[in-house]
Amino acid sequence: MDCLEFRRLLLQDPYRAEPELLQHESGCAECAHYAARIRQQEASLRSLLNAPAPPPELAENIRLGARMERRSGYVRRVWMSAAASLLIGISISMFMLFDQQQARGNMLLARSVIHHIEDEAGHLREPGPASPDRVRAVLARFGAELVGDLGPVRFAAECVMRKRTGVHLVLSGEQGPVTAFMMPGEHADSPIPIDSTRFHGEIIPTEWGVLAVVGERGEVIAPIATRLARSVHWPQGSRLSAQTPLAAHLARLGIHSPRTL
Amino acid sequence: MAALSKHFDTLVGALSPELYRYALGLCRNQDVAQDLVQETFLRAWRSQQTLRDIKTARAWLYTILRNEHARLYERQRPEVRDPHLLPEVPVQGYDTRTEAFALRRALDQLDEQYREPLLLQVIGGFSCKEIGRMLSLKPNTVLTRLFRARKMLRDRLDEEGREKQHGLP
Ligand SMILES: [Zn+2]
Ligand SMILES: [Zn+2]
Repeated sequence: MDCLEFRRLLLQDPYRAEPELLQHESGCAECAHYAARIRQQEASLRSLLNAPAPPPELAENIRLGARMERRSGYVRRVWMSAAASLLIGISISMFMLFDQQQARGNMLLARSVIHHIEDEAGHLREPGPASPDRVRAVLARFGAELVGDLGPVRFAAECVMRKRTGVHLVLSGEQGPVTAFMMPGEHADSPIPIDSTRFHGEIIPTEWGVLAVVGERGEVIAPIATRLARSVHWPQGSRLSAQTPLAAHLARLGIHSPRTL
Repeated sequence: MAALSKHFDTLVGALSPELYRYALGLCRNQDVAQDLVQETFLRAWRSQQTLRDIKTARAWLYTILRNEHARLYERQRPEVRDPHLLPEVPVQGYDTRTEAFALRRALDQLDEQYREPLLLQVIGGFSCKEIGRMLSLKPNTVLTRLFRARKMLRDRLDEEGREKQHGLP
């Protein structure tokens, strides 16, 4: 083994210890010196990359959803395979880029919503109807109340979301099924548009979390979002005032936001 | 019952820290890293039927996370790849001593094609064959990139050392 080969192997993995490698090292002072520096660099690299610890609540947040789902004994159908859904190209266009980090956060939230719809594509084909009692029961798990008419509901369930569980609804739109996620505890600074090859919609910040409404291309989302916001009352400071992002957003869309929102 | 559900809680406990570190190494932002890990497990949970063998769960989760991260940059890649646009402030949670800081900066300046195999080797402990499968690269290409990654780190650190000696900024 010559010096070049020794260094090549060393840099591929500084902790490898083949006999030929060690043999060269013990016979070549220059390479031994080089190896010592590289191993020191490697030690710093390892401690640098392996030091950060996630916040302690991360694991618990992830488990929470799965546990809820198991308890409810909900049997899932065969979803689209992960392989297939990983291959589906999604392009989410962002119109409100405040800064890169926020844009990435927004994009992740938008992608999470689209993944959820794709992974559970079966719900889009639910014929329904889900009875108002069913909808009420699902909302009641969150302390929320049905105070208006949602129109025909095809599917309603408590479901695993990113931060915790939320409400998964499928409504009937003009162009086909419209999915609504009520994601309590989730945060968005401003409305986030959702635009994939198949779906389009919006994530709207509310006082209790975010409301995501997503339909097929061409679906007009705003009236459905308004209906959802008006028909469900959330507990504890969830009454939306005219200053909230949702009200402001609806106002921008030309939709008058009533006091009862 | 699919292989994943029985082990899900255990896997989350065992793997979320290293997946978080891998995510942080890729995106260098704590909030984004957390979201990436959460989304990875969520997707894994929903599509667990496709996981045939629990032994492959770890590599599978890394792959989901990596794809998720790669898509974040689809639209932004040109900007993000420019090393001058990377933040000069140390990421919270990392060692902030000077030498560690210099190393971090050198690491940040590595092109993604070199940084990624390095993260998978150092954080994930994957072999070059496994890394090759995850990144769709030949094992030899992985070895070359690992070699070049460490070489560039070393050169960069040497350069900084020399600059300091000669009183350059
Ligand atoms: Zn030598
Ligand atoms: Zn769902």
